Amino acid sequence: MIEGLGGEGQSWFHRLPAGVKLIGLAALATALFLVEHRGALAGAAGLALAALVSTGLGFERIRRALTGPLFVIAAVGAVDWIFLDGRTAATVALRLSALAFLAQAVVATTTTEALSEVFERALGPFDRLGLIDAARASLALTLALRFVPLIVEEATAIREAQAARGLSNHPIAVIVPLVVRTLVRAERIADAIDARGFPPQKNSNSSR
Amino acid sequence: MFDEKTETRDEGGADATARPCQTIVFDGVGVERDGRRALDGVSLTLSERRIGVVGLNGSGKSTLLKAIVGLAPVSVGSLTVDGRDVAREARAVRAATGLLFQNPDDQIVFPIVADDLAFGLKNHGWSRAETGERVAAALARLGVEALARRRIHELSGGEKQLVALAGLLAIEPKTLLFDEPTSQLDLRNRNRFARLLHALPEQAIVVAHDLDLLVDFERVIVLEAGRVAFDGAAAAAIAFHRERSA
Amino acid sequence: MTTRDLGYVALFAALIVALGIVPAIPLAGGVPITLQSLGVMLAGLILGPKRGALAAIVVIALVGLGLPVLAGGRGGLGVYAGPTAGFLFGWAPAAFVTGFLAMRLDRAETAAAARFAGLFGAGVAGSIALLYVCGIAWLAFVTKLGLSKAFFVSLPFVPGDLVKAAVAALVTIKVRDAFALDRK
Repeated sequence: MIEGLGGEGQSWFHRLPAGVKLIGLAALATALFLVEHRGALAGAAGLALAALVSTGLGFERIRRALTGPLFVIAAVGAVDWIFLDGRTAATVALRLSALAFLAQAVVATTTTEALSEVFERALGPFDRLGLIDAARASLALTLALRFVPLIVEEATAIREAQAARGLSNHPIAVIVPLVVRTLVRAERIADAIDARGFPPQKNSNSSR
Repeated sequence: MFDEKTETRDEGGADATARPCQTIVFDGVGVERDGRRALDGVSLTLSERRIGVVGLNGSGKSTLLKAIVGLAPVSVGSLTVDGRDVAREARAVRAATGLLFQNPDDQIVFPIVADDLAFGLKNHGWSRAETGERVAAALARLGVEALARRRIHELSGGEKQLVALAGLLAIEPKTLLFDEPTSQLDLRNRNRFARLLHALPEQAIVVAHDLDLLVDFERVIVLEAGRVAFDGAAAAAIAFHRERSA
Repeated sequence: MTTRDLGYVALFAALIVALGIVPAIPLAGGVPITLQSLGVMLAGLILGPKRGALAAIVVIALVGLGLPVLAGGRGGLGVYAGPTAGFLFGWAPAAFVTGFLAMRLDRAETAAAARFAGLFGAGVAGSIALLYVCGIAWLAFVTKLGLSKAFFVSLPFVPGDLVKAAVAALVTIKVRDAFALDRK
């Protein structure tokens, strides 16, 4: 299984309900795209960084989480500077930095379980309209996570087996058996899901 | 039902703690799989507590088990479990009949043990409160309550099989179907499983290449090319199968 | 959607994630290329438009739930808000169009060369051209570069993706020889 990026903690940011954090993030992200004033964007980036620091994550974790995004932002800024001008580059880089700090604050303080609950609640209305089957949607996400480690293991085993034939780096010789095994596995787990009584009866009373 | 189950735990001997058996009736059943007849004109009435099924690879053993829970569509004839047609009343049949797959990794749906056990219960309409109790009871019955919060990915093969079995026991089926349950186990786990199987109070139909597992069974069926080649007492059936496979 | 369809979608999503974790296989003159976008092409080519797009959507949803499922352990809402988000969200339409074209261009009875051409074309049109349209449009908006300059910046990634489309076409032919599955 894969560990979520978000963790539990005691800061005020941790305690905010996940739904509030998500709506807040979406609203602030939209607002950031409406602002062109560099001073305001710099202020926003500063506040967002302060919010991120106030989560109590510690310098090392923040540095690790931000290295990748800041590298991309630096590259984007450099490209803008070369192709456009320094002022645009600064505007874009400040806006993207503010976004990255805010998003990271939400990601780091919200567990995957809490996000999943918001996800399922958001699907609720669509489920009632018959547009999306929420039970199937959340089962698909769970199943995917359950099988990632097994598929990684299988890929490693196939590469080792092909290495004996001098084909460990031959993409076709590795990927074809991996895909076929994945499809076979998909059929078996689907049979098991059926055999175990899925989907749940919607109109059943609480004890069958 | 719940109390009756906990009382019977850990007691040896299937007969002493017998639970009601279902009657599974194959009437001229034919099943197509991958363009060939996997089962061909099979007629059987199964109501014994311990039934073994043996046969070579491709003889239709696994298909027989899958057909009982409606996973292998019957194209000819009829197949009923306690009078219920497996195609039309699949949900009711599956609530009373659990199939243990050969590889537990093909059967476990959720990444955490307790969540996986809860999956079957939720499907069969148990409430949240009942689910918690039943998950704990099913794990305790197999002596693996310590695994409840563990990740499936970190378990050994033997532990995964117990978790998959606990997932079936949680819904309190009358009949358990086992598809080559010892084929992925080392010798110690195989022996442990044999003792567990012996003590289970539920009706069991066991497909196995491991013939020693079936020696004390009431009835053993030999399948050859999708047809019943022998049907009778364990010793005679195993001798017949050994001779034909020589 | 049957339970089988659900299984194919979920397991292909798992495959896409897994391809971002396994060490890269050196393609094209020894340059290692991450295999994750190859997984998205294969989802369309093998499962077909609807299930392929759903597999991509499952991965996109897992990213949003804060799981490090993208190549290099990336994930989380930061990716949604970053300048390359179009290349992530574009996976869904890319897999759909790739699968839709594969359904029409790949006929089992035709010669292998014709099948390869059809599948390669489906991959190039859906998983390169359309994906780049999505990715470049968002990149151009966020960076204010304008479409043509954003396109120019993205060009260095095209050769690698063309190699992947060729690999994906060959893999699809072999997989479908071994495992019969209708695209849908």
